[in-house]
Amino acid sequence: MNILVTGAASELAHALASHLSEDHQIRLTDIVDIKTDLEFVRCDLGHDETTNELVRGMDNIIHLAELPPDYSDDSLDSDNLTIDFLTRCTYNLLWAAVEENVKKAVYGSTLELFDKYDDDLTVNENWRPLPSTDPYVLGKHLGEFTCKEFARTSQIQITCLRYGEIVRVEDVKGQPYDPAWIEIRDLVHAFECALGEKQAGLNREWSVFHIEADAPDADYPPARRARGTIGYSPKYRFRE
Amino acid sequence: MNVLILGGTGNLGPFVVNALEPYHTLRVTDVNPPEDTAHEFRYVDMASMTQVVEAAEGMDAIVNCSVLREHRKIAFDVNTLGSYHMMSAAVTHGIKRVINTGPHAILTGPTYDHIDFMLTEDIPPHSGVDLVGGDNPYSISKSLGQEICKVFTENYDVHVMCLLFCGLKNPEHPRFFPGRDVTPFVVSVRDAAEACRLGLNVDLKSLPSKNEVFYITTDIPHGKFSNAKAKRILGFAPKDRFEVVWHKVADN
Repeated sequence: MNILVTGAASELAHALASHLSEDHQIRLTDIVDIKTDLEFVRCDLGHDETTNELVRGMDNIIHLAELPPDYSDDSLDSDNLTIDFLTRCTYNLLWAAVEENVKKAVYGSTLELFDKYDDDLTVNENWRPLPSTDPYVLGKHLGEFTCKEFARTSQIQITCLRYGEIVRVEDVKGQPYDPAWIEIRDLVHAFECALGEKQAGLNREWSVFHIEADAPDADYPPARRARGTIGYSPKYRFRE
Repeated sequence: MNVLILGGTGNLGPFVVNALEPYHTLRVTDVNPPEDTAHEFRYVDMASMTQVVEAAEGMDAIVNCSVLREHRKIAFDVNTLGSYHMMSAAVTHGIKRVINTGPHAILTGPTYDHIDFMLTEDIPPHSGVDLVGGDNPYSISKSLGQEICKVFTENYDVHVMCLLFCGLKNPEHPRFFPGRDVTPFVVSVRDAAEACRLGLNVDLKSLPSKNEVFYITTDIPHGKFSNAKAKRILGFAPKDRFEVVWHKVADN
């Protein structure tokens, strides 16, 4: 399978590419140059032919929708940059994908969309997102909005994965437990599940899954929809 | 009331200025200056947070008539980022009343428009990704802008009334023909402008929520869109009717 991964400068993209390249052809892209042994195409996801060339020949797109760390642009302040990238550039990417007959995309979103709910609520995919006006959270919400409209009206299947703070279990050892943590290797596994065959029978153009770490003491296992639908099976625990 | 008009010299803006000027003090803004105006004018590009926020200082309400349709980059700059700037400006200056405007496809894109009837305003937005089946982000970029407005109302003490139009007609130069029917959502520019004036008058406490959407169409018999909510809450009473368009022309 030919897979395009955006946000190549991020640690998640690096982890995804390393794992998925064992079985797939990976093309990485970002708006800044990066060092990698894999195929890399620098692209600003504009509305010109270069975005079409970027997605041409791809079977899947993993759109992490992340700006490079500490990225700045003289023409826009950081708030604008985030919202612009998550709306206009997502639109350009998906428009090109539809034009080039790409059949599937996976969009990386955030569980911060649910931070306004009380901690004791059983929030899952059936709950309405309540975004704040923080540019990152609002931008992720607007990116989902954009994806949904493409999925609703175009011939492209889009899966949205929402997750929290990406960590490595060894890096947070000894720190106070944070339920927002998601182990990067479990998250890579979740993206692989979203790309996989199990979901094909769903015949849905738009699907959303919350990707959460395992919680052995929970009455109700987290990420139930992802477990039951795409075969997500987290391996890493932050608590025993 | 001190009213900031964004996009004040575009297709709709001048009619809004005419409707409001007897009752309010206006600050008209746009990237193109008016040929002649009795009001304060400022150059404001909706893509500039600084310009929008500075223009909103001292205002009691904002009316957003700005729009850009075809060009992808500028459409997102004006329609999406522009809304973010407008709402940030409202919050910065404690402005409680914002009137946003746009096409009905902000809410009812092709998956509603091509299929359903009896459409109301209180439905999830399905803008689609292109307005007319081509490379045109007008509807989705405006819909994202309205979504930004909604999120701000859910986080701050600010009210947004979103007035949706389609088929805006200048009654002095109507571009339609008797007996040929019309898109089942049509309104004259002066009735649309009057709806903006009504939005400035309505008691905010009487609104069902801090984010309310209204179909601003003339009375139209097709059974697809209704202006009942605008009539009930805003007191909208369209004067330009266009009945001749949807009545058959008698044979001579």
